[in-house]
Amino acid sequence: MGERLSPGPGREGTSNAHVLFSALDRESAVRGTVDSPVLRLVDVEKRFGTTTALSRVSLAINRGQTVAIIGPSGSGKTTLLRCINFLVPYDSGRIYVNGRLIGYREHQGRLLHDREHNVNEIRKRIGMVFQRFNLFPHRTVLGNLLEGPLYVLRIPREEALLRARAALELVGLTDKVNAYPDQLSGGQQQRVAIARALCMKPEVMLFDEVTSALDPELVDEVLSVMRRLAQEGMTMVVVTHEMTFARDAADRVAFMDGGAVVADQPAGEFFERPSTPRIGAFLRRLSAR
Amino acid sequence: MLEFTREYFPLYLRGAVIGLGITVATMLGSVALGLVTALGRVSGNRVAQALGSAYVALFRGIPPLVLLYVIYFGVPSWASSLGIRVVADFLAPLNNRIIATVIALAINSGAYSTEIIRASIGSIPVEQMEAARSLGMSSWLAMRRIIIPQSARVAFAPLGNEFITVLKGTSLASVIGVTELMRDAQLAAASTFQNLMAYTLAGVFYVAMVIVLQYFVSLIERRFAVAHK
Repeated sequence: MGERLSPGPGREGTSNAHVLFSALDRESAVRGTVDSPVLRLVDVEKRFGTTTALSRVSLAINRGQTVAIIGPSGSGKTTLLRCINFLVPYDSGRIYVNGRLIGYREHQGRLLHDREHNVNEIRKRIGMVFQRFNLFPHRTVLGNLLEGPLYVLRIPREEALLRARAALELVGLTDKVNAYPDQLSGGQQQRVAIARALCMKPEVMLFDEVTSALDPELVDEVLSVMRRLAQEGMTMVVVTHEMTFARDAADRVAFMDGGAVVADQPAGEFFERPSTPRIGAFLRRLSAR
Repeated sequence: MLEFTREYFPLYLRGAVIGLGITVATMLGSVALGLVTALGRVSGNRVAQALGSAYVALFRGIPPLVLLYVIYFGVPSWASSLGIRVVADFLAPLNNRIIATVIALAINSGAYSTEIIRASIGSIPVEQMEAARSLGMSSWLAMRRIIIPQSARVAFAPLGNEFITVLKGTSLASVIGVTELMRDAQLAAASTFQNLMAYTLAGVFYVAMVIVLQYFVSLIERRFAVAHK
């Protein structure tokens, strides 16, 4: 489409990240806030047929926090993320995003399905990055970044372009504005996917094993973008098998097994003193690789 | 032989252009009808699904010639015998041969377009819908912005084939007196008694048109493929 990103107000080399993050995010990240949680899960349950995918999961995540969710495959990590933005409807319990119940409305203590419109309103505030990138192949990188801001948020084009430029600077792909997704490497595609989510200025971002589909040498470029986001004060829920990332970029680690959160501790503590033998065994097996 | 061709070439050419015009109008209707019905069939709405399925089952089963007779001969006379002015006025355009042809062929071809478009929508990975929904798009917006544009590329080639089928189907319009290519051939045959010559030349015209169309379809298809690489 030959569209160019006009040079912004920031001079060469200066960061335009302020376009995407409010000063409040950074401040709360520094303080490691204690105010009301951005995300609160209360006794969330999900069954697929007779198998229990999530059993009584409760979790609270404050603004600016990064929580790594780890655990063996099939333990419900991905299902948990997909319930948070209601791509998968949970059966019972409550999930609050910024204090708003997602997917249901309460009526005399019962949960009734909410209107699609209300679910979409909440989804706008939740960024999601998928394992397989899921970029829109018929649109350029810029097209992918503008889609949400222009057609969902309906903000002016100039502002959407500013956001797109800031997001591409942050992920280091300003030279790929007009490329199509299949012209990019997996690592580049995943960084574009992160940028696409960022352009919505989400309150919280969900990462679903975002480095699992990447060649090993491309993993670091994606993780370093995520570290940067954590520093900027983004609230993040990161399902991952990257233990190094969980150890030094996450504030907390939640360990899931059989659909339940069996440990939820500060990251350092989690790795130094595994609270159950099962977790110890899991960590040893991973580090043995 | 050359003499016949020289004499009737302009007439045949005019007939071919009329046939092509009918085909373009028919396909516009067919794709519009197909898109609406396909969306109905992939929607979550039970009634829309049932209506879509019924449409396809019914109009894929009726031979286009039968449908053409029903629409051109049947419907207008039924409307006038009904004696209700509004209905008769509304259906009056069906007395026009070309309009009746376009409507009959579009309804028939729409059933095939529905299946083509439905399959092309189904070929887009569900993750595309999920990615769109995760941005807060409504299912309709996601359809319009993400799914339909991608499935259009998939549907293009089979819709091109459908265009060719319709083009050949326009020869049916000769039976209600539309002066397209086939009708012109009948007239030429009747006035010269050169049956073989008259109908063979018509055949040559159809083949030539189909080859040219096929060329353009594959040309555009290749452009589509390049645009994303």
